[in-house]
Amino acid sequence: MTDGDRRALKLAEEPGPRASGTLQRVSKRTYLKEFALKNLFLLCAFVAVMGVFLIFAFVGLRGWPAFAEIGVWRFLAGREWSASGEQFGIFPLIYGSVVVMLGALALGTPLAVGTAVFLSEIASPRARSVVRPAVELLAGIPSVIYGFFGLLILRPVVARFSDGLGFGAVTGWVILAIMIVPTIATLSEDALRSIPGGIREASYAMGATTWQTVYKVLVPAAKIGIIDAVILGMGRAIGETMAVLMVVGNAPVIPESITAPMATLTTQIVMDMPYAAGLHRTALFGMAIILFGVSMALVALVRLISRWQTSIKGA
Amino acid sequence: MTGSTTILPIAEIAAERFHEEFPEYTVLVSGLGSSAGIESVAKGSSDIGTASRDLKPEEEVLGLYDTPIALDAIAVIVNPDNPIDTLSIEQVRAVFAGEIANWAELGGGDRAIGLVNRDEASGTREAFSNIVMGDVPYDMGAAVLPGTGQVRSVVAEAPGAIGYISLGFVNDEVKALAIDGVEPSIESVARGDYPVQRTLHFFTVGEPEGLAARFAAWVLSDEIQETVIRDAGFLPIGAGGGS
Repeated sequence: MTDGDRRALKLAEEPGPRASGTLQRVSKRTYLKEFALKNLFLLCAFVAVMGVFLIFAFVGLRGWPAFAEIGVWRFLAGREWSASGEQFGIFPLIYGSVVVMLGALALGTPLAVGTAVFLSEIASPRARSVVRPAVELLAGIPSVIYGFFGLLILRPVVARFSDGLGFGAVTGWVILAIMIVPTIATLSEDALRSIPGGIREASYAMGATTWQTVYKVLVPAAKIGIIDAVILGMGRAIGETMAVLMVVGNAPVIPESITAPMATLTTQIVMDMPYAAGLHRTALFGMAIILFGVSMALVALVRLISRWQTSIKGA
Repeated sequence: MTGSTTILPIAEIAAERFHEEFPEYTVLVSGLGSSAGIESVAKGSSDIGTASRDLKPEEEVLGLYDTPIALDAIAVIVNPDNPIDTLSIEQVRAVFAGEIANWAELGGGDRAIGLVNRDEASGTREAFSNIVMGDVPYDMGAAVLPGTGQVRSVVAEAPGAIGYISLGFVNDEVKALAIDGVEPSIESVARGDYPVQRTLHFFTVGEPEGLAARFAAWVLSDEIQETVIRDAGFLPIGAGGGS
């Protein structure tokens, strides 16, 4: 035990407040250690912020010319994406991203909210101890594994039912729906659990069944939390790349059906990045700007909603 | 030496090995495209010009000496359950352009054609485009897969699928179509009968001499032909017999 430690220990034994005033009585060595650690943590936070800032600046600088050189309208609303033909219209890709995301949400949200309700309201502690880790594990599976599963197991099934190759939106929906379940389920469960027990008891006391309590009382009460969860799931769905790449077929067109090959912003970036040069590469960065903007908007939306919620509660 | 980007990878590895074998010589390799390669060797700025196509009529007057170094053949593959065994090159073109969308139009069963294409970075796509498609654009609605193996496994499973892969990758899981009645095989490619094939060339001004001759001989040696050329998915130039 060093001198400094002993003195600090003594300090801890002393009664009364130990705020910044008393800190000066600590040895110089302890003080330096504290100072260094404080700045180390500050540095950690700074690196994270710098990371976001640098990526944003880099993507912005590299991608901005796409809007200028191709033209905002031709870039965003152009129907043809063909690198060899020097056509860089990303409308089919935006369309693809939106279609894939909405379908995944439509399938995944009920599944995830149902899981959350089960975990927080219905499951016995034993059932929960099995289901919960399983859901969490789902979040830990690398997306390329989902993609593999989709490509080798799901796609042939879709192919059988659709008389096609099995690549397309519907395959992407199913895979993504499974992938966003953990995000939405864990956050929704937190929201449900944060509802005071008294509300539940009041509902049951009035003779409501479990279903009535869940449907009429708990889900509405946890509404904001669940919406937050869905928005974050949305972010996951629109940003997911590898798994989607392996199952949608990567044709940069507006698909004729939900079982026809299509592409999304993220998948097209991955497909083209290895060989893109010049304006083509710039256009890919332009697509990255759009993705960045979408995820920033989603995060902002979540913040806005939670702020709104606290202001309601505060009132 | 300079020229074809298709030949660039094999030329680079061959040049590296050549340098290891004969440290006193260094072969500089660059890839600018076949036309640039032919032009540069004709002008004398390169000793060897490489090309993944034959000479055009206007280039034949340049008096270049042709050393074929490898064969590249692309098989059009379908599912083994597909009753169709042969297509004409025009039919293949129409299929990949999206003009024919059902196997019934080609004499097969009533089943939608599932087009499988390669990504634009693929040399096979480039070659297929040059040999089969010409100026006709691909159907943009085709599934785009990033690897030969994926094309093969998808075609192996989907009854209506059609794709193309290098001849060396064809196996029992898929059926390679005869094109214009010629089965793709090492023999037919070596004879020059199979339509979807091309020869990779070294061009020199007159017969190769000195270092150019030694390097050309090096590339034609079994050591390079059986390893580098085959690994790159091409066929050795003397592939008439054997595997």
